[in-house]
Amino acid sequence: MTASTEVKPVATETGAFRRWLYRMSQKYVHWFFIAPALIAVLVVAIYPIVYSTGLSFFRVTFDSRERPFVLFENFAWVLNDTDYRVAFGNTLLYVFVTVSGAFILGFGVALLLRRITVGRNWLRLVLLLPLTIAPIVVGLTWNWMLDPLFGLINWILTGLGLPPQTWLASTSTARIAVMLVDIWQWYPLIFLIMDAGLSGLPRAPYESARLEGASEWTIFRRITLPLLRPVILVALLLRTVDAFRTFDLVRVMTDGGPAYTTETLSLYLYRTAFNFNKLSRAGAGSMIMLLVIGVISAIMFRYLYRDVERH
Amino acid sequence: MAISLRQRLSAYVIMGILLLFILIPLVAGALTAFKPQIIWVSSPPVWVFQPTLENFEFVFIQRQNLLHLRNSLIIASGSVAIALILGVPAAYALARFRFRGSKGLLQWLISLRMIPPIVVALPFYVLFQTFDLRGTHFGLILAYLTFLIPLVIWMMRGYFVEIPSAMEESAMVEGYSRLQALRKVVLPVVTPGIIATALLNFIFAWNEYFLALILGGRDTSTLPVAAATYVGRARVEWGNLFAVNLIIMLPVIILTIILRRQLVKGLALGLVE
Repeated sequence: MTASTEVKPVATETGAFRRWLYRMSQKYVHWFFIAPALIAVLVVAIYPIVYSTGLSFFRVTFDSRERPFVLFENFAWVLNDTDYRVAFGNTLLYVFVTVSGAFILGFGVALLLRRITVGRNWLRLVLLLPLTIAPIVVGLTWNWMLDPLFGLINWILTGLGLPPQTWLASTSTARIAVMLVDIWQWYPLIFLIMDAGLSGLPRAPYESARLEGASEWTIFRRITLPLLRPVILVALLLRTVDAFRTFDLVRVMTDGGPAYTTETLSLYLYRTAFNFNKLSRAGAGSMIMLLVIGVISAIMFRYLYRDVERH
Repeated sequence: MAISLRQRLSAYVIMGILLLFILIPLVAGALTAFKPQIIWVSSPPVWVFQPTLENFEFVFIQRQNLLHLRNSLIIASGSVAIALILGVPAAYALARFRFRGSKGLLQWLISLRMIPPIVVALPFYVLFQTFDLRGTHFGLILAYLTFLIPLVIWMMRGYFVEIPSAMEESAMVEGYSRLQALRKVVLPVVTPGIIATALLNFIFAWNEYFLALILGGRDTSTLPVAAATYVGRARVEWGNLFAVNLIIMLPVIILTIILRRQLVKGLALGLVE
């Protein structure tokens, strides 16, 4: 095409321009694909972050006409608020317990599935069901299961000769109950990741280890775990980030009660903004939360990349 | 692998108990949706009864949950369609071109997952009041794009990376432009991936509660929001609630069964990268 245009002197100008245009379009063609998504993300994700950050430096309510600049007043207020601290502590505990619980169960089930030979695909499907069900539905279903009067759980407990519990109404059991339901819902995520990771493992190291007569436990600790390290980190990272934001489940099961034992950050921030009309304080609270999530995932990310580069 | 019979047997037993733990709440709940009001709650539980559709009739007609079903369908499919249109080309570019900042851009997109929903909800709430978007489907669709676009890009990139780039290169040698090669050679191969991505995103949007609660108006609230309204301070309408629960659960379960392989693969691809 270029050769034929160069023959005609009149067309040289446009030919050169078109060639330049072609070269440019070849060089920057990727932006043509990426730009629409990038612009959309800027609008729906970056703008809200910037807005919330800005919000937290002013005093804003839904009906306020004046919005005075108050610098760190909101941050100070939130950090001094006992409820915020309680919610923060609860959230940290919640994240720690549910992530480790889901990890142990999910990884355990993935390992268990390898010993089973019949109907694996269907088992996988049933095992991941809780993940696909709306958290709100899961919470409401378990409310019914855990009801002190007619719930199936208490019926089973009394059948086994154990005392019935007022699961969600008592300060000693509400936390445990909600966390167990959270594990029930989210262990499939870990299971899926670990299942994929286990299927991708090479065979050679195992065969040579068996020839040398290594025990199953040694093989697991010395071969499986190190090989799976990156996969484990990804699983933990994803689950941790999500666990920090838990709202639906706690909202319908206990709504933070009894006596604030299940109050999480998301619940606190929701209430502060939409029930107490303290927009900028919720903004400040969520900025601190974002910061903490960011730091935790950055640490995990660094571990992850160190691993990936080493291999 | 040498596994003794006892080990194998115990694996089956543990798996069986686990399956009971998963299935009993779901099955018991689904059964309650078909129970007449007098046995919504009972101790000991009733397993055998004359099934009735009165709960469904009640929620659909008296409580207008048909409207909420419509809202859920419009919002979930609308947001997924837009997320795919915007996200698939971006995922293709991120899988195929190495340019300055491509790796950083991908990591940055993935890290958007960390944003707590409240950070999105606050500005959108204020914005919706200003632009009168509260009570429109479009408003919620917009809010859902915040987490759907990064997810689409992440998953689809995994599918595109799997396809050898020699495919479209040879098509381009034969005179196709890159866009033609993409449309006629790459897209057909990657269609199962697009379907899996669409489904997974649909499930996320369909199940979403937080943003729907805050940003949905009276005429645009979705099924999860409607389900929560059956929980009163004094009493819970269990039969009606489980009818709505079943309507929320059923499409997702059916989709999961039909596309189980694709879904498992898609999830694993998108997650392990």
